[in-house]
Amino acid sequence: MMLHVAKEAVEAARAAGAGYADARFVHEDSESITVRNQEMEGIDRATSEGVGVRVLVDGYWGFAATARPEGAEIARTAGLAVEIARAAARLPREPVKLTEVDPATGTWASPFRDDPFNVSLEEKVALLMEATRRMQEVEGLAFAEGGIDLYRVRTSFASSEGSAIEQTVLHSGAGLDATAISGGELQRRSYPNSFRGHIAAAGWEHIAKLGLIEEAERTATEAVELLSATDCPSEVTTLVLDSGQMELQVHESIGHAVELDRVLGMEESYAGSSFVSPGDRGKLRYASDLVSITADATIPGGLGSFGWDDEGVPAQRVPIIVEGTFQDFISSRETAGAIGGTSTGAMRADGWGNLPLIRMTNINIEPGEGSLADIIGDTKDGMFMATNQSWSIDDKRVNFQFGCEIAWRIKGGKLTQMYRNPNYTGITTEFWRSCDAVGGREDWTLWGTPNCGKGQPAQTARVGHGTAPARFRNVQVGVR
Amino acid sequence: MPGPIGPDRVRTVAEPALTVPGVDGVEVLFVHEWVGLTRFASSAIHQSSWQEDTGIRVRVVKGGRIGVAASNDLSEQGARRMAESAREMAEVVAPDPLFPGLAPPQPFPQSDRFDQATASTTPDDRAEGVAALIAECGRGLVASGAFETGASEVAVLNSEGQFCWAPSTQASVTTVVTADEGGSGFAETFASSLAELDPGAVGRRAATKAATSRRPIDLEPGRYPVVLEPAAVSTLVGFLAWIGFGGRLLAEERSCFSGKQGQQVAQRAITIYDDATSPDTIGLPFDFEGTPRRRVDLIRDGVFIDGVYDRRTARQAGTETTGHALPPPNPEGPFPLNLFMKPGEASVEDMIASIDRGLLVTRFHYSNVVHPLESTITGMTRDGTFLVESGEVTRPVKNFRFTQSILEALGSASMVGRDTELASEFFFSASRVPALKVDSFHFTGRSDH
Repeated sequence: MMLHVAKEAVEAARAAGAGYADARFVHEDSESITVRNQEMEGIDRATSEGVGVRVLVDGYWGFAATARPEGAEIARTAGLAVEIARAAARLPREPVKLTEVDPATGTWASPFRDDPFNVSLEEKVALLMEATRRMQEVEGLAFAEGGIDLYRVRTSFASSEGSAIEQTVLHSGAGLDATAISGGELQRRSYPNSFRGHIAAAGWEHIAKLGLIEEAERTATEAVELLSATDCPSEVTTLVLDSGQMELQVHESIGHAVELDRVLGMEESYAGSSFVSPGDRGKLRYASDLVSITADATIPGGLGSFGWDDEGVPAQRVPIIVEGTFQDFISSRETAGAIGGTSTGAMRADGWGNLPLIRMTNINIEPGEGSLADIIGDTKDGMFMATNQSWSIDDKRVNFQFGCEIAWRIKGGKLTQMYRNPNYTGITTEFWRSCDAVGGREDWTLWGTPNCGKGQPAQTARVGHGTAPARFRNVQVGVR
Repeated sequence: MPGPIGPDRVRTVAEPALTVPGVDGVEVLFVHEWVGLTRFASSAIHQSSWQEDTGIRVRVVKGGRIGVAASNDLSEQGARRMAESAREMAEVVAPDPLFPGLAPPQPFPQSDRFDQATASTTPDDRAEGVAALIAECGRGLVASGAFETGASEVAVLNSEGQFCWAPSTQASVTTVVTADEGGSGFAETFASSLAELDPGAVGRRAATKAATSRRPIDLEPGRYPVVLEPAAVSTLVGFLAWIGFGGRLLAEERSCFSGKQGQQVAQRAITIYDDATSPDTIGLPFDFEGTPRRRVDLIRDGVFIDGVYDRRTARQAGTETTGHALPPPNPEGPFPLNLFMKPGEASVEDMIASIDRGLLVTRFHYSNVVHPLESTITGMTRDGTFLVESGEVTRPVKNFRFTQSILEALGSASMVGRDTELASEFFFSASRVPALKVDSFHFTGRSDH
């Protein structure tokens, strides 16, 4: 670990005139393997390291980062951060004030059993070769794809308030993707979830138990069956979502909407703002009584789990929505202070070269009761949709439209006709208020979203969502 | 401020990778970039950053087997270690039956897209530009946005003897200006040099739009004739790049143009091409495997001609590379990064004047694919959507959701704008497009603002 580099950068920033400074030395390793139709599509490893220095000068922010954190370059980078902060003061604003936080010292590492970087390439490739071989045995399948993604991030954080932290997070994931093409239709099924499968804060033991080989044939068969299915009809109906699609539903229509930087207009020009305002705390009826949402950075296995965020604030479990009523935002030391609160510890940066932003931790729906089968069995007439395929939502997180890979008609508590190209649309609060069933712990899964984009320059974060299947009433499906 | 390290130093850093033993071929992609960004919100600078990084990405070939490793370690051993790591991966994987070999030595067009003033822009310079933009926002108007300046040098070298190196710069100003009572306006400018930017003009344009979009009315979704400003057109063209123009999509019949070669897919007035060599765009004169980029006509007079290719997909399709490879390993295949839509003869005012009842759309937001083979996407309007009645813009309207086939829209495009704008897209990428009048555009929902 390189805590001494972070400390040196903080000292240099203070010497250059910073009132507050923090610095992160980050070393990242990643490995990605993709196999398609039993041929290698890509295998690559990447490493990157550097240091980012963030400063406050007279209440104005500056940030600079370098990939050569050695010698005079550290002081030069710290000095540049100070120069940037001084330039920001050209446009007067209320000086930034950070909420108090006790200086943190210590180490933290995400738990795992088997280091996936020590598993042989032969074993990894063999797993994907066998899974895609089994998918290819299904007649009519065009492409059988499998992928493995591994990430390890080591961060050394120091601040001028005395924090000195070293953390290591390890994320591992894998998945399958089956594509069938015929007659102007392209249909896809994924396992365990779309967009590179199921990624978690874990080691090889997580990938080994995903059941890629066991589920390969079913995944491919459904993709082929979708080619001859009927298009999802356009109607207003009862909608049951599997936990995989609920991951996306929570992410887009709750997770982003409760980011306090968006609420305060700090992302207005890029990703947008939010329909939620500070005055909504404790008042806004966001959802039905059955819906409680928690931001939990302490849960094992989540992509949004850590010991401290990138401001040195300890990981927390924060109620966001309690029995349908909005309670609190995910926030930073700056933004929480602006509305008279304390940071919920949600600041994270993408690598060493970007400044930290408010990012989702693990935004989870608290489990209700019953299994997915119970919810479907309790539904007389409606639609069941599974696995996200497409997403779109407006700049205030109000109007959304999401597509899924597959749907079935529910009749008398049973799945009947299969539909292809299903999608649904709604208004965020109307939709969540119509929720009348949330599944229990037995079908609750802690998913990982590896591709959450935000900020300028663009940053990508890996965030978590623990979700259960759920049911919604009077939903418009089949938008054409 | 840094500058390019130059081709000689690039060779010194990268060439140790080329001599790793026990392989058939090695390719090194070298990218050195530095970016300064001044971000503002609530009419004040709230996030400013600067980053410099240098990365090397090594592709090793051994018996038709490929491995790729990347690092930002510029030490003497850095490139060599990456080559050894890539070789280790190549030794355990199956051969790629379509691997066409590395790019042969060949000349590439020299570009003049590096501007020292842009590469040396200071935080004070950007802050001054932001101040000029905000000064254009009158009472009740609030500006957010970003002023970015950056530079890069990119090199590709391989064991066949190919060596390409090119520096470039880019600068952009983007803003959303909001007004009380629900007004919002957007403007952007994007160029390869700072001198071409006028932040004050960007602020004026967005401020005017914000002021005129106050008190938007509710309007029923449905099919409307629309005038799409260039930023909205760039979304349509950009999505065609994702779901249609890539040679791999075409070779595997996953493109919305599959089976449509030589067919009329849009109105005759629509011509779309990719041309990194044009002085009217930004970008590199070679692709990421060292092939010179060349102009490719994609849709000419409404007829689909062909897509873009890299070396592998060209072999797959039985054609030649057009110089559109992305960095390896790149499972998605080639991609057009410098799209153009040929301008027509109409002004935006002409288009508005031709509409009895329709809409004027400034830009789209958060669009995504609904049906790739039908080229159907969905998204929202944002930052200035207006009702047009009897040939005049009459009222702002609340934002709509659209669900629309892009090719169907281009099939009902009846007027093409005479002025084009460069819109930023993705990395190293830009599209230069005009405004369009589309006779029927499907709005399927609406929001509350």
